[in-house]
Amino acid sequence: MSVALEVQNLSVEFNTQGGRVQAVRDVSFAVNSGETLAIVGESGCGKSVTMMSIMGLIPMPPGKVVSGSALLNGRNILGLTNNALNKIRGSEVGMIFQDPMNALNPTMRVGDQIAETLIIHRGMKRAEALQQAVRLLDRTKIPEAKNRARQYPFEFSGGMLQRAMIAMSLACNPSILIADEPTTALDVTIQNQVLELMREIQREEQMAIVLITHDLGVVARMADEVAVMYAGQIIESGSAHDVFHRSAHPYTLGLKSAMPSIADTANKNHVLQAIAGSPPDLFSPPKGCGYCSRCPHAMNVCATTPVDMIVINRTENHHSRCWLQHPQANRPVDDLFQPALTGSE
Amino acid sequence: MMQFILKRLLSGVITIWFIATATFVGMHVVPGDPLADAKAMSPEIRKNLEARYGLDKPVLQQYGIYLSNMLQGDFGISYTQKNRRVNDIIREHFSVSATLGVLALFIATIGGIVWGALTAVYKDRWPDAVIMFFVVISVSVPSFVFAMLGQLGVLRLNQWLGFSLIPVAGWGTFKHMLIPALVLGLGTMAYLTRLMRSSMLEVTNADYIRTARAKGVPPLRIFFKHQLRNAILPVVTVLGPAIAAITTGGFVVELVFAIPGLGRYFVQAVQQLDYTVIMGTTVFYGAFLVLMVLAVDILYGFVDPRIRVGKSSG
Amino acid sequence: MKHFIPTPNDFLPLVKAEEAEAIVRPSLSYWQDAWQRLKQNRRALWSLYLIVALLGFSFVLPVIVSLDPIKQDLTQLSQSPGLSRTSVIVETLPWSGRYAEAAISTANTPNTEFTSMTVADLRLVANAHTESVRLTWEPLAGAAYYRIYRHILVPSGSTDLGLPLGATERPAQVSYEDRLKLKTTDYYYSVVAVNKAGVDSLFATLKVSAHHATGINDAISRGLLGDVIDRDNVLNTEIQLQQHILGTDQLGRDMLSRLAYGGQTSLFIGLVAPFIFVVIGIIYGGLAGYLGGRVDEVMMRFADFVIALPFLLFMILFRVAMGIGSGESGILPMLIALVALSWPSIARLVRGQVLQLREQPFIEAAQLMGANSSYLIWRHMLPNVMGVVLVSLTFAIPSAIFTEAFLSFIGMGVAPPTPSWGAMCNDGVKSFLSHPHELLLPAVLISLTVLAFNLLGDGLRDALDSRMKGSR
Repeated sequence: MSVALEVQNLSVEFNTQGGRVQAVRDVSFAVNSGETLAIVGESGCGKSVTMMSIMGLIPMPPGKVVSGSALLNGRNILGLTNNALNKIRGSEVGMIFQDPMNALNPTMRVGDQIAETLIIHRGMKRAEALQQAVRLLDRTKIPEAKNRARQYPFEFSGGMLQRAMIAMSLACNPSILIADEPTTALDVTIQNQVLELMREIQREEQMAIVLITHDLGVVARMADEVAVMYAGQIIESGSAHDVFHRSAHPYTLGLKSAMPSIADTANKNHVLQAIAGSPPDLFSPPKGCGYCSRCPHAMNVCATTPVDMIVINRTENHHSRCWLQHPQANRPVDDLFQPALTGSE
Repeated sequence: MMQFILKRLLSGVITIWFIATATFVGMHVVPGDPLADAKAMSPEIRKNLEARYGLDKPVLQQYGIYLSNMLQGDFGISYTQKNRRVNDIIREHFSVSATLGVLALFIATIGGIVWGALTAVYKDRWPDAVIMFFVVISVSVPSFVFAMLGQLGVLRLNQWLGFSLIPVAGWGTFKHMLIPALVLGLGTMAYLTRLMRSSMLEVTNADYIRTARAKGVPPLRIFFKHQLRNAILPVVTVLGPAIAAITTGGFVVELVFAIPGLGRYFVQAVQQLDYTVIMGTTVFYGAFLVLMVLAVDILYGFVDPRIRVGKSSG
Repeated sequence: MKHFIPTPNDFLPLVKAEEAEAIVRPSLSYWQDAWQRLKQNRRALWSLYLIVALLGFSFVLPVIVSLDPIKQDLTQLSQSPGLSRTSVIVETLPWSGRYAEAAISTANTPNTEFTSMTVADLRLVANAHTESVRLTWEPLAGAAYYRIYRHILVPSGSTDLGLPLGATERPAQVSYEDRLKLKTTDYYYSVVAVNKAGVDSLFATLKVSAHHATGINDAISRGLLGDVIDRDNVLNTEIQLQQHILGTDQLGRDMLSRLAYGGQTSLFIGLVAPFIFVVIGIIYGGLAGYLGGRVDEVMMRFADFVIALPFLLFMILFRVAMGIGSGESGILPMLIALVALSWPSIARLVRGQVLQLREQPFIEAAQLMGANSSYLIWRHMLPNVMGVVLVSLTFAIPSAIFTEAFLSFIGMGVAPPTPSWGAMCNDGVKSFLSHPHELLLPAVLISLTVLAFNLLGDGLRDALDSRMKGSR
């Protein structure tokens, strides 16, 4: 199994009128071929900016990659010119976005939009590319693909459009697919179909997927690896199992208890736990841990000193950016961190 | 699509009827007398004239005759130039106005799209500031001032050159048209520039532009195939009002540059109270504008698939 | 960070100060907030000041200073703006002229080089002033007579010499006196010699600056000299004329007064007409939107027809239809025509807003709580519609001012002698080349007004828009 994308120490800033926003701070992760990495976090935490800046899709200026590297199949693509990136985008890396209703050009036929990718990257003639586009639509299970290819986006439903988007992103057999909240705008049943389709294609193509989402349900269904982001940093990363069941950061716990589950809804007295407060101001990030002000277990050190990623489990590659994981720290109540081990209620 | 066109056509016909009726009513509540200027007129001559213009019949009958004549495309005979039919006057002078108008519209549209696109591309940088400054000036200064300044400019240019490069006034060659068309199109161009700018900016931030970039579409192709095409759509929708603005703006420009167009003739007819010419020209202009708006609507239907396909498939 | 060695104290629970969530911003009403935003928009704010200044100029200035827009000052026609208004008293007896010796002037043989020659030493005989300009030149061999032209620009060629003033009567006469409607400006006099065969020589040109002068008889009859009777003493003395800071028009009327009173007309039409049709539009559109159904359909269909009328054509038509009797200013017909043609766009806008609002949850909530119609309309509908209406009112004002200017410019506006900025432009066009201030001054005021209202409208729209979106 090879590493499809490896990101090291990525930092991204935006120079705005109000000052410098440190949107992404020292982010590192890797995703293997045939696997799915889910980047999780609330809105504004830097999930999308991380991926978009790697692909050169943030406006620069005001955006600016301060440091870091991003190895795509072993080659650093950070800092490439727009021209060079254009050769990668759409061919080696496919992308799909949140709102399929607006993500397609309203005045261009769907088939043409898919064919455009092939014409640009594969140098195909239009007729040939259109035929290929029909095959791709067919593959993403769009009925009557031939007729559909001649239609405009407004004639498609949301789920169909997201399939068309997937068809478009798959046109050149990319080695990695970046899916930015691909199902957020869709109905739950359609969500499942789209996710299922992504998994199916991933199995066939041994493609890596980076899934950006705030929906832990989607993460649970799809992800092999999970990286939780907060205030521009990854605060916990590891296998989906570890992050879910051996959460090693209070924020991850908070996210989990904010998510409804079937078991909870059976209990009528169960109250969803919202995380109090709001994320820190990224114009001037706090000195210590970004989550300190909202953390129920905050210690003196949290407010004063930034914390590195601390290894929780070396073999499973489970890390957490939390002082509580420091050997000197007095762990609060053990079961808080290990609810899965003590058995779910 | 066919149904859509038919529906628009029908409402266009009704609108033209409304314009014709409003014109008739407007001109028949006039307190003045259309034949009053011929002072020393014997009752006999007056009677003859009234008969000739159908003024001796009851108003409703006059209205009926007026409508049926209009249906046959007959606007009657001029009051002041007794031997000229209004149809001939319109035919003779409108071609001049139309030529000027088409050129002005062309300049305004192309200019508006190009300047608007430029301001959007260079947003908040100096080309944007410079163009928008001129846009603000162009929408704030009355067109006749531009006409006069344009004329003065040409005059000074010719003086400086020592020969007549561009004629100061008159009609005949392409050179005659250039400055008047520019002046005529200026206001509309400014308006379209503003529209195009905001439309471009909106499109620039659209999700499908990001999608195109994510597909690796080169910037120039994105600009032309994705951005420009979508940004131009709103510009097409205002072409109807733009044609109206240029048509009526033509009155002033034709007056200042001494161009023998229908606009100048209309203004003269108004000043001489030449009733048949006023009525005929108003209805003609009204019908023309309604048809132009209709044409723009249909054109828009062809440009925007959401309307073209949407209507045909129900 | 690598060298950070934590102490046990670091791992004690952090004691957080209990912070009550303070409301940072005071709660502002819709209009207070919009006004705050507008104040931050410097362009809009300056526009507002400019509008106040223009209103002051038109409506307050004539009250403070006595201005007369109709009185003609016949001694000062088409004067440029300026502060020094002096005139020299001159004798206005006709000039006998200057004659050359017969020997040179009566050469009968046509000279072959005649067409490449020009008269020599074209010069002034006396000071040039607005009562007379006296020219003389050296005779040209072979000339049968001379033609004299006057231009307000530098002649660009022999076909562009300007106004033909006249010709000399005899070959020997090498002088000309111009007394034709002279103004205080620069003139270019050209003299062309013509031989017996009728062939022209080249032209000679002289630039002449005429200064203001008053004929002594004129001055006495107008009482400019007071009781002085001693003619010899007052000759060639300067007298002070009436002040016209912004100059005069071609009928000698004070530009400042006309601009102020013209502003009253233009601004009155520009402000009152939109105000009236906005009120009508609110009532009509609000009613249509509120009643809905069949009534709405019929009402809006009618509005659509009125919108379809070509605006300026029907403005002209209405003006012709209503006519202007003698002694009327023509302001009222224009006001009526503007209102009659402009209300439907506002009606349409208001109707759309009302339809949208009717679907809003807060209206439903109010209805559920038992609010009656008038409460709904006054408390919920109107305040929410007012923002959009105010913005379109601000944009309607400059277009009304433009319409007035346009109609007056083609002679279909207010009736003379009522001044309006548009009518003044129309007057100024005729003398634009020689006295550009007569067109430019009113044009600048129109432009400033339109500019100010446009920028204010932009600012207002932004201010209200961002509040509506509730963003940032």
